[in-house]
Amino acid sequence: MGLFYKLLLMAGLLIIAVACTPVAPWQRGTLAKPAMALDPNPMQSMIRAHIHTSREAGSASTTGSGGGCGCY
Amino acid sequence: MAVTKRNPASAALNALTLAALALPGLMAGPVCAEDDEVDIQYGHYQEGARNLYGATSAFKPIQVDSLNTSARVKLADRLRFAFNYIQDTWGGATPMATAPLAFGGNGNYTGGGNYTPSGTVSGATPYLNNHNVYFDRQLNPLSQDASGNFVKNTQLVHTMSMASPETRRQGDFKFGYDWDESAVDVGGGISVENDYESRFGNVAGRWDFNQKLTSVNAGVSYTNSDTHAMIDHDAQPYIYDASTGGQSYNATYGDISHIVIGNNGQRTLYGNKQDWASNFGLTQVLNKNALFTAGVGYSYSAGYMANPYKVVQVAFIPPDQTGDILTGTTTALLEQRPNQRNQLSGSLGYIQHVDLLDGAFHFNYKLFKDDWGITSHTFEADWVQNLAAGWTVTPKIRYYSQSAADFYNPYLISNQAIQSNAVDNLGREIFVSAIHPNNGVQYYSTPLGYVNAKTGQLLNFFQQLKVEPVNKTVPFNRAALPKYYSSDQRLSGYGALSGGLTVAKQFAKGISLEAGGEYYTHAGDLKLGGGGEGSYANFDYWMANATLKLDLSALQLANGAMFGFNDHNDGKAGEDNGNRHKTHKGHHQHQHGNAPAGVMFAHTLAKAGDMMVGYRYMYDSESGGMLHNSQAVTDSTLINNACQGNACYVTPAAMTMNMHMIDLMVAPTDWLTLMLMPQFVDMGMTFRGLSGAGLPSDYNSEAAVLHSEHPHATGGVGDTGLYAMFNLLDFQSHHIHATMGVTAPTGDVGIQLRPIHTVDLGFIHYGMQLGSGTWDLKPSLTYTGQWQDVSWGAQLNGTIRTGNKNASGYILGNMLGSTAWLGYGITPWLSTTLRGLYSYEGTGQYQYNGTYYPIGPMDYLANYGRQSVDMGLGVSATVPEGTLQGNRFSVEWLQPVSDDVNGYQLRRDGTLSATWGFGF
Repeated sequence: MGLFYKLLLMAGLLIIAVACTPVAPWQRGTLAKPAMALDPNPMQSMIRAHIHTSREAGSASTTGSGGGCGCY
Repeated sequence: MAVTKRNPASAALNALTLAALALPGLMAGPVCAEDDEVDIQYGHYQEGARNLYGATSAFKPIQVDSLNTSARVKLADRLRFAFNYIQDTWGGATPMATAPLAFGGNGNYTGGGNYTPSGTVSGATPYLNNHNVYFDRQLNPLSQDASGNFVKNTQLVHTMSMASPETRRQGDFKFGYDWDESAVDVGGGISVENDYESRFGNVAGRWDFNQKLTSVNAGVSYTNSDTHAMIDHDAQPYIYDASTGGQSYNATYGDISHIVIGNNGQRTLYGNKQDWASNFGLTQVLNKNALFTAGVGYSYSAGYMANPYKVVQVAFIPPDQTGDILTGTTTALLEQRPNQRNQLSGSLGYIQHVDLLDGAFHFNYKLFKDDWGITSHTFEADWVQNLAAGWTVTPKIRYYSQSAADFYNPYLISNQAIQSNAVDNLGREIFVSAIHPNNGVQYYSTPLGYVNAKTGQLLNFFQQLKVEPVNKTVPFNRAALPKYYSSDQRLSGYGALSGGLTVAKQFAKGISLEAGGEYYTHAGDLKLGGGGEGSYANFDYWMANATLKLDLSALQLANGAMFGFNDHNDGKAGEDNGNRHKTHKGHHQHQHGNAPAGVMFAHTLAKAGDMMVGYRYMYDSESGGMLHNSQAVTDSTLINNACQGNACYVTPAAMTMNMHMIDLMVAPTDWLTLMLMPQFVDMGMTFRGLSGAGLPSDYNSEAAVLHSEHPHATGGVGDTGLYAMFNLLDFQSHHIHATMGVTAPTGDVGIQLRPIHTVDLGFIHYGMQLGSGTWDLKPSLTYTGQWQDVSWGAQLNGTIRTGNKNASGYILGNMLGSTAWLGYGITPWLSTTLRGLYSYEGTGQYQYNGTYYPIGPMDYLANYGRQSVDMGLGVSATVPEGTLQGNRFSVEWLQPVSDDVNGYQLRRDGTLSATWGFGF
């Protein structure tokens, strides 16, 4: 578990370190581009996630979004 | 032309509006990406062949075809609704166990229930049980060379098992409500497959702070899943069952699962699992070009978490052996997993835009840990490159590594006999009657003969002949095995590297197409820090997907407003498109006539440059008993007459078919409309044994009959249609057009059943293949007309198979259809239709050119095709205003009035058609 908490701590420190620059609403054009979406290909991600969860033990979703048994 | 006219003003507005639309969604992630969007995706997964070390698998590796339709719409200003429908059909070979190569698990079946463990073709049925295996004193497996000498052979290999096609369906929904700086989503759904059903619900919230530069989200979910797996006929003899006829040994383990034995000896494993999951996430805008995400997730699962089709190979070696060679007996046990699992994950993400290249870099890392001993790391990096003309290219790379579960074991060795002779408390061996082993009477042996343990009476010679005393046996001691064990490669230690490319093209008018591919390789050597599973477990797969995305909001913005399909379109849409109406006077009125949902090719597009996207669904059901021509028939008639001179053993009890078609139309000129129609088909069939038929005398056909106790299912891409529609006549309110088309044989006609009872069952029933296998010509002629609120139409259509036979050696019959309908507009946006339909389909010809075992009427092409008359009642609605304005929905039910089948077939229950269309 140690590694896990270290990473969390690092994440927190990283946020503080970069000291987020204020971004005014009119400066958010780039952030609104499709390429900057958290997931630019959500449909493809769905099919990939389904494959990964039925072939890997550590890829389970924590959002309760179905997916079936994958018992093959 | 309309597009160029609109361009300068609307492009800027478009960009601004898209940016504004995207901003709130940016924080919430994909859950509520763009409002009012319809996405349709097809995906294909294909696994590569496994290394079987000398054996060549006779079966194709597993492949999966998926269809995913997703719609997101705004119901009100702040209320969102999303719906997903997912369907997967899979079939093919996967590992069911792992064993030393010396065990010969992939042995060759040589007929009559005999195996040769060293065969060159992986046999129909894995060779897992009750044969002798050899070890040296260090417990290394030994194999025998050509001259019979034992040599050490530690090579492991998967034992492959083949699955017949199966289909899973999932429907889920989500309601979302947005406040200015927060949002809540509530969703749920259900996933159903033959042997597994899962229901789930979830709630998630999002809060924005710091002028939306920071947002946090949190969610909880609950999933309840039932397993009801038929332990297949083949596996039964391999799965050790200690108490003959009683509860299976495998099921007595805890109370999380149990096996029920059916009348015919069929065993069904029942289990239930519950998952509670939660997640918490943070998204932080770092500057105008970068953002950062972090998340944690925790889930707790309880219940049956094993895979009912995976077994663990156990070698039982009796301890009291002398010499250097130890002899053991193998058996396969259902895998046993803990009934609880705690999973914890943490993730970090970073997205950076690079202005110079107009691209964005995405990086994600996920750490996962559970109390089964598995730790995994996932690294993902994407580069999203925008190119000119709406193209986007995204190369992706992913690396995954996991450690093995504590209870993962490729196979087990147990230092005890698989069974031993029972002894009483005085150390005497117990004997029972061979004839009545369970009558409770026990004997022990003395120099004078066998003595009844209860009465002390010595059996005389004749009594002994009658009793036939045999040793009472007890199975191995369960407690001497590990508590949990699994050889499922998903629980082993390994790494996986994958790379892919996604190409997307944004067209005008809010349509985009996306196509992607990924190649994935799984290898023990790729595990972080080494120590992964041996190379025998390596495998690879490739995946391809194609997605059509329709952004309804953008389509509306691009168009100003949509013209409707409604004939009585006198609303706002008509005004906005006044120009079109003037230029193409009367044209568009009847071309988009309100034809019933079940009529294809009913309209052409109004003018050059118009496009339409539609989705067409058809459900067909047959379960009304068997017919010969139009008469119901008895089982004995079927047995004697329905199978072309052979006996019939089973009859179809019900057949269902679902077709999902995508309708893409474009008009290059005013008089021509081109149409592309890919389709996705799935079918299911259940059977019933014919009373009085008994079982076939030959072993192979008997296996086919037994297999029909399972429902059969197939699914995947069907034949793809390409059509050209020509406007022939446009006179006042009368319109005639001709359609010439062809369907390409993209549907599989080589689907086979899984081998069972050591028999390769070969081709599945003709009607369950996904296409015709031939290039088919599809001409049609359509007339439509209209007077005030009344509309009407008629169509003649045909299907002509070309070529002599398809790749599987047969050909389906030609088809002819004629239909006429009458429609009435109840309101400007709602109309109803009544129609009559006559259809004819000829019988098929020839037969499969490979192995198949005909057992019932559905296996003879003479029993295909029919003449029928149907009456149809339909309703159509066109959304008159709002963001969905111009979307048209139609539904029609076709009720058979008369059915005259060729040969012997099921009576039809009816056909449901539903369509959605959107023109722009």
